Amino acid sequence: MKYFALVFGTLLTASLITASAQTSYSSSPSGSDVKIDGTSSLHDWEMEGSLIGGFFELGAGAQLDPAQTGVTGVQDNKVPAKAHIIIPVRGIHSKADHMPDTMDRLMQEALKSSDFPRIEFTLKELTFKGPHAVGKPFDFDVTGDLSIAGKTNSTTFPVTIESLDAGKLKISGTAPVKMTDYGVTPPAPNFGLGLMKVGKDVKIIFEWTVHKR
Amino acid sequence: MACFGNIRMNDQNPLPDSNRRGFLKTTSLATLMTLMGGVELRADEQTNSAPAADAGLTKQPPPPNVNFGVIGLNEWGREILHELSLMQVSGTYFAPVVAICDNYPHALRKAGNEDAPKAKQYADYKDLLADPNVQAVVIATPTGTHREIALAAIAAGKHVYCEAPLANTIDDAKAIATAARDAVKIVFQAGLQERSHPQRNFLVPFIRGGALGTNALARAQWHEFTSWRRDSPNDQRAKDLNWRLSQKSSTGLIGEAGVHLVDVASWFLRGLPTAVTGFSSLVFWKDGRDVPDTEQAVYEFPGGVNYMFDATLCSSFDDVYEVYYGTDSTIMVRDSKAWQFKEAGSPLGGWEVYARKDTFYKESGIMLVAGGSHQTALVGDAASTKPYDNTPLYYSLQSFAKNVGQVSQTVKDFIDLYGDTDPKALQDKITALKLDPAATWQDGLEATVMAIKGNEAAVKHQRITFEKEWFEL
Repeated sequence: MKYFALVFGTLLTASLITASAQTSYSSSPSGSDVKIDGTSSLHDWEMEGSLIGGFFELGAGAQLDPAQTGVTGVQDNKVPAKAHIIIPVRGIHSKADHMPDTMDRLMQEALKSSDFPRIEFTLKELTFKGPHAVGKPFDFDVTGDLSIAGKTNSTTFPVTIESLDAGKLKISGTAPVKMTDYGVTPPAPNFGLGLMKVGKDVKIIFEWTVHKR
Repeated sequence: MACFGNIRMNDQNPLPDSNRRGFLKTTSLATLMTLMGGVELRADEQTNSAPAADAGLTKQPPPPNVNFGVIGLNEWGREILHELSLMQVSGTYFAPVVAICDNYPHALRKAGNEDAPKAKQYADYKDLLADPNVQAVVIATPTGTHREIALAAIAAGKHVYCEAPLANTIDDAKAIATAARDAVKIVFQAGLQERSHPQRNFLVPFIRGGALGTNALARAQWHEFTSWRRDSPNDQRAKDLNWRLSQKSSTGLIGEAGVHLVDVASWFLRGLPTAVTGFSSLVFWKDGRDVPDTEQAVYEFPGGVNYMFDATLCSSFDDVYEVYYGTDSTIMVRDSKAWQFKEAGSPLGGWEVYARKDTFYKESGIMLVAGGSHQTALVGDAASTKPYDNTPLYYSLQSFAKNVGQVSQTVKDFIDLYGDTDPKALQDKITALKLDPAATWQDGLEATVMAIKGNEAAVKHQRITFEKEWFEL
């Protein structure tokens, strides 16, 4: 039950981006989605939210052109970019039909949401995995600092960046997280059918929509 | 403003499957009525209850702590304070009352001393609304004062729980509903507490799923032997207290008591009435009042289904209950229990064999129980059955507290992340929340219109055709 945040930065811009200046993007209030997929001794579970904040910035010289197979401004496949992603823990809710409140509170307790209300990710490195298939999203690996429940670890996971209309980008990815790496003890609630042990490995699946400032 | 019973449902909140397994859950015979027989219909206690302590929470996680202010401290206001205090004792949702208000000093002091010793006391509701420590207010004042206070509360950015009926005129009810609809960042809940009750929420899909067969008719009563008069040594105070006894300020028995039952009928029957015909008389409490002590109304619902409601202050016989009649079965609802009485030859699901049956005179009723995802089984030990111990008001206030907590958090997170510039996107986020079932401004408006016109029809001994625009903003 861990979540986390992801962030990475970089990317692209719709059809063309000026190579001479940095391009900044802000989170859009619509079009984002974050899911936490987990397992347990009884059944798989899922939580979901739609609040993702933060910023994304492509560095000077970097350009993502959907019509090109490469990324302009790349050196050794590294794309100059900055990003910071924020996911409010209390904005993620259980999709269970039964006792969703309890699931939410278990998650919030496990993540110490009172002290650490946000999952955050700060991009350190954006690596182009090229070549880019025209008309498809760009593929990258992101490396950065993921902070959950007050503990920060470096992590790497794949993301894609897709140009949308109106100067928007959709940054999508799946970040595997081992809860125990963040000092989070997987909950083991008793719902009356015996102990339910939550698996320590979860996936954070996100789609983050940003718009050009 | 009166209350009783329990029932409710919200189309935005999927209800537990009315799976036949669910009906097999244990039920208690201990308190059953003794005259007909049926299967009790009961929802899983956890369906709509607060997170259970046995779910493994090692400590109290951060609760949606909502600071309440209660305006109006007569009997019902005191009851609200009591239910809010129970919420804190249960440790599920925290709704501390930080402020109370009444313009009658004695009532204010008494409530403060006995029910809310830590609350700040205000003689003027405007001062309470100006208190930044108050996040949500409960309006339990005379119906005719709701508009002024509710509009001021919404304008002040407070979440509002407004007792039902919302108002004693349609114009006032619409004004409140309009303000509530337009206030994206606040939760507005009409005090139709049955809509938050687990049992009622369980029954809705069961009934709508065809359990009755073809709906034939419905009936409900609200019977008490009581004067409805409140005493006070202060003449002006006595006059203020007895606002229900004057037609100028009261929506009568159908309005003040029947609004909850008429609302449930509309909810269960899935529609609004097209007309209402009423009758009334003052047969016993002839103490100067001009409000009838006995009223009857027949609401005409779509499909030829007539709903008959009667209320009296002259007899307590059989108290309060509702009955929904159909070609396959009839369902009776009393307090937090329900029974199904099946017609001979009606379709069987098999589960009825295992269900508990109670006898009511010559009829046998199946006790209906919802199951959710839990294993449910017939258990004959009445003591093991734990029906809904809390009042409808408790469930309703709990839903309000929880929903305010969720919506407030979402609003805060949204503004923190994106600023306060896109109300449409914010509204979408709030709409997507899985909130507890609760009466909306629309529910409140519709029930209020039905109640006002039902009372008017009764007082005038007329048939009134409902106009569509009465229900619309």
